[in-house]
Amino acid sequence: MEIVMSILAGTLFAAGVYLLLQKQLLKIVLGTALLSHGAHLFILTMGKLNRGAPPILEKGIKIYTDPLPQALILTSIVISFGVTSFLLVLAYRTYQSNKTDMMDQLRGTDDE
Amino acid sequence: MFFNKKQKLTLNLSLFTVFLNLGVAIFLSYYVFANGPLILETGAWKAPYGIILVADQLSVIMILAVNVIAISAVIFAASSVTSNMTQHYFYPLFFLLIAGVSGAFLTGDLFNLFVFFEVLLMASYGLIIIGGSKHQFRESVKYILLNLFSSILFVTTVAFLYSVTGTVNMAQLGERVAEVEQRGILTAIAILLFIVFATKGALFPLYFWLPKSYIVPAPVVSALFGALLTKVGVYSMLRVYTLIFSHKLELTHTFFIWVATITMLIGVIGALSTSNVKLIIAYNIMPAIGFMVLGIGTFSAESLAGTIYYLVHDMAIKAALFFLAGLLVWHSGTSDLNKMGGYIKTAPLMGWMFFIASLVLAGIPPFSGFIGKYLLLRGAMDEEHYWAAGVGLLSSLLILFSVIRIFIGAFWGELKEEPKEKVRRSGLAASAVLIAITIILGVGAEWFYPYIQSTADSLIDPEIYIDYVLKE
Amino acid sequence: MLHFYIFLPFLAALLIGISAKRVSRIHTGWFVLPVPVVLFILFSTKMPILAEGKIVQSVANWIPSLDIQLSFYLDGLSMLFSLLITGIGSLVVLYSIFYLSKKEQLVHFYVYLLIFMGSMLGVVLSDNVFVLYTFWEFTSISSFLLIGFWFYREKSTYGAQKSMLVTVFGGLSMLGALILLSITAETNSIRTMIANRSEIIESNLFIPILILLLLGAFTKSAQFPFHSWLPDAMEAPTPVSAYLHSATMVKAGIYLVARFSLIFSGSDEFFIIVSGIGLITLCIGSFLASRQTDLKGILAYSTISQLGMIMTMLGFGTGAAALAAIFHIFNHATFKGSLFMIAGIVDHETGTRDIRRLGGLYTFMPISATLAFFGAFSMAGIPLPIFNGFLSKEMFFDSSLKLEQTSGFAGLFAEWAPILAVIGSIFTFVYSMYLVFGTFTGKAKLGQLEKKPHEAPIGMLISPIILIVFVVLVGLLPNLINEPLLAPAVASITGDFAITHLAFWHGFNTPLYMSLIVVVIGTILAFTLKKWQPIYNAIPGKFSSDYWYQSLINGLLKFSSVFTKSYMTGSLRLYTSIILVFLTASTSIFIYVTDGFKISFDDLAPVTWPEVLVGFVMAVAAIATIWMTQRIAAIIVIGVVGYGLSLLFVFFRAPDLALTQLIVETITVALFLLCFTHLPKLKKSDKKSSEKLVDFVIAASTGALLTIVAISSHSSKYFDSIAKYFVDNSYELGGGDNIVNVILVDFRGLDTLFEIAVLGLAALGIFAMIKYRDKGDMNH
Repeated sequence: MEIVMSILAGTLFAAGVYLLLQKQLLKIVLGTALLSHGAHLFILTMGKLNRGAPPILEKGIKIYTDPLPQALILTSIVISFGVTSFLLVLAYRTYQSNKTDMMDQLRGTDDE
Repeated sequence: MFFNKKQKLTLNLSLFTVFLNLGVAIFLSYYVFANGPLILETGAWKAPYGIILVADQLSVIMILAVNVIAISAVIFAASSVTSNMTQHYFYPLFFLLIAGVSGAFLTGDLFNLFVFFEVLLMASYGLIIIGGSKHQFRESVKYILLNLFSSILFVTTVAFLYSVTGTVNMAQLGERVAEVEQRGILTAIAILLFIVFATKGALFPLYFWLPKSYIVPAPVVSALFGALLTKVGVYSMLRVYTLIFSHKLELTHTFFIWVATITMLIGVIGALSTSNVKLIIAYNIMPAIGFMVLGIGTFSAESLAGTIYYLVHDMAIKAALFFLAGLLVWHSGTSDLNKMGGYIKTAPLMGWMFFIASLVLAGIPPFSGFIGKYLLLRGAMDEEHYWAAGVGLLSSLLILFSVIRIFIGAFWGELKEEPKEKVRRSGLAASAVLIAITIILGVGAEWFYPYIQSTADSLIDPEIYIDYVLKE
Repeated sequence: MLHFYIFLPFLAALLIGISAKRVSRIHTGWFVLPVPVVLFILFSTKMPILAEGKIVQSVANWIPSLDIQLSFYLDGLSMLFSLLITGIGSLVVLYSIFYLSKKEQLVHFYVYLLIFMGSMLGVVLSDNVFVLYTFWEFTSISSFLLIGFWFYREKSTYGAQKSMLVTVFGGLSMLGALILLSITAETNSIRTMIANRSEIIESNLFIPILILLLLGAFTKSAQFPFHSWLPDAMEAPTPVSAYLHSATMVKAGIYLVARFSLIFSGSDEFFIIVSGIGLITLCIGSFLASRQTDLKGILAYSTISQLGMIMTMLGFGTGAAALAAIFHIFNHATFKGSLFMIAGIVDHETGTRDIRRLGGLYTFMPISATLAFFGAFSMAGIPLPIFNGFLSKEMFFDSSLKLEQTSGFAGLFAEWAPILAVIGSIFTFVYSMYLVFGTFTGKAKLGQLEKKPHEAPIGMLISPIILIVFVVLVGLLPNLINEPLLAPAVASITGDFAITHLAFWHGFNTPLYMSLIVVVIGTILAFTLKKWQPIYNAIPGKFSSDYWYQSLINGLLKFSSVFTKSYMTGSLRLYTSIILVFLTASTSIFIYVTDGFKISFDDLAPVTWPEVLVGFVMAVAAIATIWMTQRIAAIIVIGVVGYGLSLLFVFFRAPDLALTQLIVETITVALFLLCFTHLPKLKKSDKKSSEKLVDFVIAASTGALLTIVAISSHSSKYFDSIAKYFVDNSYELGGGDNIVNVILVDFRGLDTLFEIAVLGLAALGIFAMIKYRDKGDMNH
């Protein structure tokens, strides 16, 4: 299962990267969302999958899935949420002030 | 944050805070060098289970430097941060940036390092757009996207590392990686992590986002970025590739030397490519980073000491140069060198400070740049990396050329256009403080060097750190 | 004691910098003058100590932990240079008082001059190589400032920049050599290096060290092909030219070669490089001097050629040659110093230095003219016992005939040395005559002069008179300075103390014939100069070193600009792809090299269909986003991926994650929806298919790489996770059943605290951006 999930996460990454290479800001932002999904799936996979119960202590259960990756993902989800929302607003503001959302028109020169 | 309408009060409060911080930092350094590293177990959970903050020698040196930069930034801010900037939360973002940077220097936990990276990056995202011009939005999009990518790569890599070693505590990582002699996939993970840090630290070919995004914000923000952000990347490399991944030196560290050498050369070529004074200074970040990473790659007690010395020196001089470039652009009303000239008459003090700063940057003795460069070059030659040392020497010449061009072009020659405004006093004061520090760091090297050397010695022998953290 | 000597000029510079502006009635130079005079006297008093073969030394701490110590010593060689620095220094300061008007920025001038004086003393007195290097760079910097003294003139700034680049280039390569030396000899002290010279000579770094060190010496002493900075340095005020650019700073390179002679001389490489470059410089410099029209230009090329001659003698490496070199250092300082001062006087009194507009000045300024004739004849080496220049030139010829190298290329070269020496000296003769006769004899062209010429004030004449007195006195009685000054200096170069009697008359021998040849051919050429001068115009400009310098600098700037703009395009796609290519390439290489790939099927969870199905849908959705052209559709597919992920979290027993992901995903989708309505519609990618292919390859390899690393990492779990501790202690110590929650709020509470900080920061940033919108654009 871990191998399948690794491949899936890799696919998400690849799709995200592909979007990152596009010209339109919107697609790039979508790409970052895919990238973080991929990253979270990687983290989860790196703890062992499906070993034991959910990490909530219950009497009689000895084996739980690895709780640490889950904790890390939680932190990471929240952070990427913050960044993504910031990025969205920034994308909007950039579009508004530069009148374009195509990255190849957002190059700039030395002399400004 | 809540006083954003009351300019004066905010400023005074900030000044009070930074000086208080510096006081604490000085005490902390004194304590650490006298009694050994200090460990704060947050939530009282012992390492490796809880997150710990470790103030070892390297960390306190960094903290000390950060606080000095912070003070100069607040002094500079006194005349440059407009009420408009204050209303867009300059000060809260500034302090959180400092907090993020300090946290990154202190933490003993790799995942926590990621969190602090995010704090300082998020603060920098907020700072870079203060002013709200369209250039700023345009460049910050690139800045944020590339940093976001490297952050995502960072957490992913931490996860890989966790899978192999079962821990995220740096000391334990060091112990465990050593135990398996950095076997198998670990070296590849080390390289992934290097790329993460190299993107933050602006190494070739990963720095392309940097120069332009560093010149769009207000000068005080540029200076903070130039002085602090890339250095966090270097610090992380310094920590991780001495403490954790130092068992396949012939592979990883040789690679670092190559990357560092190319960075020095390409970076300084960039500095010669433009006549925009701010951009010249921004490009000069790269050769400096190259120098520091060269020291990490060389991996001897001497070269690591060189890296640390250079790190501290570079923080001060980069901030000073960004300040001065900002002042110059205000004074002249343009950032194009070709439109400047003769300002030594209208702004002699700024001119001479710029001149000295140029010498400091180029590593002319007896200023601080020389000590670091000397150690790095010596270290490199000692380990027979002659080409890298040669490129280092050559790039020093080109660095000098790139900045002395500004001095000659802007300050010498006939006065072409009347200055737009007087040089801002507090800006000069802030630069003067930093330049004075670089002079003291150079001339008074003996007061600092033994500490730096003992720090480097402690880095080269990671056992010390590991024992301290894990076996208390 | 020596520390005081070196720091006195710096101290004086500081005092003058602070105070002199207040006393504006008196020329600042008068306050400066005592410094070199006192130092000269102090140094002179040490001469008896040196004559006994002893040295004076003193050490102070600077950076003991790096073994960079302020250790100074005064031996014969340093003494000669120290006396030149302070002696010529005194005369130049005196001269400058009358040369520079009070309207100039005198404080700046004298501060730079004093800094130079101190640094130059530091160079010649340092025992520690890195202290030497420090002072060395400071002489370059003070020279830069002095050349650029009239900073508003474009030529001055050009010359200043050029001299700095060339000399700092040399300085840095010298630093490289010094570090290598210090590593090889395991010491930073010159004297210890000399004592342990066998280690250096036997080291396989010998040649690199030699070349790097010589680069430093050659650039500083304006040797071919680095000589072209010196003529441009003539933009400096004339006292500076007389002082730095003829008598002292340019001899620092000579000093360096002399100082390290004991280590290097004896090797064929040293002989060939130093003498070879020296002879080439001698010939080229003297040949080009007659081409110049600016008096100072002639003198600059003359200096270049004379330095070449001294360098040649040092390269010979024999005792006689060393004595000749030392003797000529002294002589050159006297006659060239006086000639520069006369050139300055001519400039001062007539308003021009262009030799084409000068002539017949003898009648207007007889004293200056007489002095100039003495200086020039000495420089030309006219065989009369009243010219010190003749004596040393004779010794130069003599030593060129007695070279010890006989075998191989060095031997061949040794045979040619006398011939080149004669050729160089012929042209030296020519330009010396050209200089004085062109200026002082013939018809006066008063109409072309800005002022009516007259004799200079006595104050300006004192210094050249004193120098010419030395020219004649030493010419007559060379042994006067031999024993106290020259012999100890030679001893520092050769290592043994011996006094060779100097005499004017050696009988009819080869050197004398060589001198006579020089005089005869020189006279003919000098008188026919006008006829053959057009030859110079036939030399293409491409051969000049200045042309090369300019091409190099312009080429460098242009290359930098073109090269940098080729990758700094501002294109995010380019930046990202470079990062990704670098990432995948370097990591895959490392995986390959370290044999990092590993896959193990041992410890895996069973593959179950629901998960795979969800995963498949997610993958399809993720890839589908690429082709989405409808904004709403794009959001929906992104949503599918996000919700799919939370479903996976459920499957993989991570309830907290699933919940959080669900909430966050919902908010994100809402945010996307909100923003997308303000953003333009998605467009179909208008990329070329080749670009698409590149994108695809990069994306696929990045994904594949991470998958490979992930699988390998998962397959090499070397250790137990620390997570067990959390499971065991969550309840007892953390007080909670939900382990993930306990980790978040307790074990790793700091993460959570700062994660909230990040959220807060994001909110702050977003709020600030929205504020901007309210106020409209705030362009600078």
